[in-house]
Amino acid sequence: MSQIILSGRGVSKSFRGLKAIQDVDFDIPEGSIFGLIGPNGAGKSTLFNLITGYYPLTAGEIRFKDQDLSPLPTYRRNQAGIARAFQISKPFPALTVRENIRVGAMFGDASRAASEDTVEQALATVGLQDLADRTAEGLTVGALRKLEVARAFATRPTLLLADEPCAGLNPVETREMVECLRKVREHGVTVWLVEHDMKAVTSICDRIIVIDAGKKIAEGSPQEIVADPKVIAAYLGEPLEEAGH
Amino acid sequence: MMLFLQTTINGLALGGIYALAAVGFSLVFGVLGIVNLTHGIFVIAGAYGALILFTQFGIDPLIAIVPVAAVMFVVGYLYQRTIIHWAISRASLVASLVVTFGVAMMARNALQLAFGPDIHTITPSYSFSSLTLGDLRIDVVRVVGLAASLFLLIALAVILNKTHFGRAIRATAQQPLAASLCGLNVRNLHGLTFASGAAMAAASGAIIGIVQPFAAASEVAWTLNAFIVVVLGGIGSPAGALVGGLLLGLINAYTAQFIGPALTQAAMFLVLVLMLLVRPNGLLGNAFGETR
Amino acid sequence: MSSRTTAIAITVLLVLVAALLPLWMGPFFTRVIQLFFFSAALAVAWNILGGFSGYWSFGHAAFIGMGAFSAAHLVAQLGPFGSGPWSMVVPVLAAGLICGVFAAIIAYPILRLRGIYFAIAMLGVSQVVGELVNNVRWFQGGTGVFLQSPVPAGMRPEVFYYYIFGALLLLGFLISVAVRNARFGYALFAIREDEDTAMMLGVATERYKIMAFVLSATLVGMLGAVYGYSVGYLTTYTVFRLDFSLNMIVFCLIGGIGTLYGPIIGTAIMLFITQVLLSRFLDMHLLITGAIVVTIILLMPGGVIGAFNSLRRKSSDQANTTRAEAAR
Repeated sequence: MSQIILSGRGVSKSFRGLKAIQDVDFDIPEGSIFGLIGPNGAGKSTLFNLITGYYPLTAGEIRFKDQDLSPLPTYRRNQAGIARAFQISKPFPALTVRENIRVGAMFGDASRAASEDTVEQALATVGLQDLADRTAEGLTVGALRKLEVARAFATRPTLLLADEPCAGLNPVETREMVECLRKVREHGVTVWLVEHDMKAVTSICDRIIVIDAGKKIAEGSPQEIVADPKVIAAYLGEPLEEAGH
Repeated sequence: MMLFLQTTINGLALGGIYALAAVGFSLVFGVLGIVNLTHGIFVIAGAYGALILFTQFGIDPLIAIVPVAAVMFVVGYLYQRTIIHWAISRASLVASLVVTFGVAMMARNALQLAFGPDIHTITPSYSFSSLTLGDLRIDVVRVVGLAASLFLLIALAVILNKTHFGRAIRATAQQPLAASLCGLNVRNLHGLTFASGAAMAAASGAIIGIVQPFAAASEVAWTLNAFIVVVLGGIGSPAGALVGGLLLGLINAYTAQFIGPALTQAAMFLVLVLMLLVRPNGLLGNAFGETR
Repeated sequence: MSSRTTAIAITVLLVLVAALLPLWMGPFFTRVIQLFFFSAALAVAWNILGGFSGYWSFGHAAFIGMGAFSAAHLVAQLGPFGSGPWSMVVPVLAAGLICGVFAAIIAYPILRLRGIYFAIAMLGVSQVVGELVNNVRWFQGGTGVFLQSPVPAGMRPEVFYYYIFGALLLLGFLISVAVRNARFGYALFAIREDEDTAMMLGVATERYKIMAFVLSATLVGMLGAVYGYSVGYLTTYTVFRLDFSLNMIVFCLIGGIGTLYGPIIGTAIMLFITQVLLSRFLDMHLLITGAIVVTIILLMPGGVIGAFNSLRRKSSDQANTTRAEAAR
């Protein structure tokens, strides 16, 4: 087994008594594509927010490359090598696609001269070369998601947290996105992916963690996860709960 | 000890007026989401209105509240339905801030052209008499001003909480879209809210005229005061305005008495910044929830 | 020729023309253009913070006043620093430094406020500083202070200040070009567009915001000091003027906020209207400015450059559709 790049022990977060994440452990091996799934409101985005430092931890510890993350502010965590692609695309609307990516490239690493290559590489990795000089404002959802990934990739991370990159995409776009994440991994980036589309997750991930109501309920290979009765219960329980609202 | 008590009383009397001067600003901020930098102009215009009625027709400023507020109600309604509405729908909320800043400059210039840059006061017959209670002394005008402010604030609170109009306004503040789907005329309600705010400001102006000297240039101070009151007390409720106003009045009075009159603005502002950093929603929070 | 060399060529040409103009221009126009240089330089400085990072300050006049009074008190306490034009150097630089340091001190708390809260907090800062200068006797804001004229013998003052303000405008412009093209500029853009995302991309937002604020304040402080010299005798009300604060925003808005040329173009348009076309109505200056501001925001929310760009986009879209139709 390769080295662990990110690990969490007893990770917990509560908002005014509401326990959003409870005692979650995880170990993400370097070079893998890891999955994080769970029903709506399970706490997936919150967990990512804890890793990027958007919220402080209530308890537990997250280590990245054997370094405790808690004292680092968000931008330092990025500079250390953790990037994040948001679920809701947040491009800078007035800037062009290339400029958007350049922002990522400039601050992830040292000098600007080196970063022009990074920008082009990021454009090529996600396949946005043709749209490079358009402003982000008028892009389609599919292109926006790619931009989101490209911009995060341009910060030259060693770990990319991708928050539902396939949500709302059609089957063709979903396949492109899966391809795009594979290419990101080929560049040596570990990917941790939150995804609803089970087909996408199982086709791409080496291992998957399942959380429900803030707790980890399963971890294993895609085949194991799909067959796990606890996972099936968590997912099948969901529509019934929804009907009750 | 006596000095402290006397200062406290002065501060509270002043605070009541601050509260009245700010409540309209607070309402507009809470319901429309607009920071109206023209607000100080409404206050000062009210003071000039009362001044004219007093010097030309001998009408007591407290009675002048009614016509002055009525006129500003109409002006406020028209202003919101035209310029403010256009600015928000065509540009942005920040642009509306600049627009109200621009209009404030225009109005200030117009007032200076009309009345000159001099400082004015309104001096009705009771302006120099005062009440005494043991060693404590308080000017009649301040008592009258405080009473009138409290009366108007309570009236507004009753309107907001007990009438159909008040419920409609609160509904609009929380969910403009839902409110309009429920058949409320949101545009009209926004206009009326703004108009009520302007009327309250003008009423406070008439009272300020008898308590303090004023000039066209003091409009900024009144806009800032209103903002500080809102930040201290919370957005959108008469109770918040009252808490914020009284606090501001006390801060002002204590600073002037115990530190130095030159530093009152600085002290008020320091409290503003501290408050924004520590408790951005004010002591009583936002009356309309975390909509903005 | 690339657009970049064109831009450089045009700038150099404009600078040359501006340098020669006073030789045959009358005092009135020299004074108008001197005012234009001063105002445009202020707008350019404001734009570095307000335009690039999106933190709109409604109180930059504080730095004009602080700069002017710093220079005056420095000369009174420690001066004079020589005579003639060179006597300005130390006080003006020191004024910039003092404003920069002041900005750095208030930056940490005040830049944590966003949007309108920052805008109004700055309005408050200017009000409070003005009040203190006016009421604390040591500052002599109420009675006024003098600054020795640095104009060399034989030179008309308006020509002298024409060159000084012109040079400061050029300096400010070059600084803003440099900022825009550097990492710094991208950081500020990212902050303006979405501060949380910027942080997630590794932008040290706090540090860049403070840098922009300090830089902007320093430039305005230096301009304020020179303005103080040009006025000669200062009271609170000559420098702590709300209309200064408003004008900086308005000039940028009219020309196009956050662009390089916008602040300069906006200033040119506004001053042409108020100082040349409507020069007879100077006591209604604020009224006219206010009216233009309101009209422009309502008609052209993106400013002149924004309107121009959207026109160009429309016409190129049109050209594209015609071409597409022709191809069919």
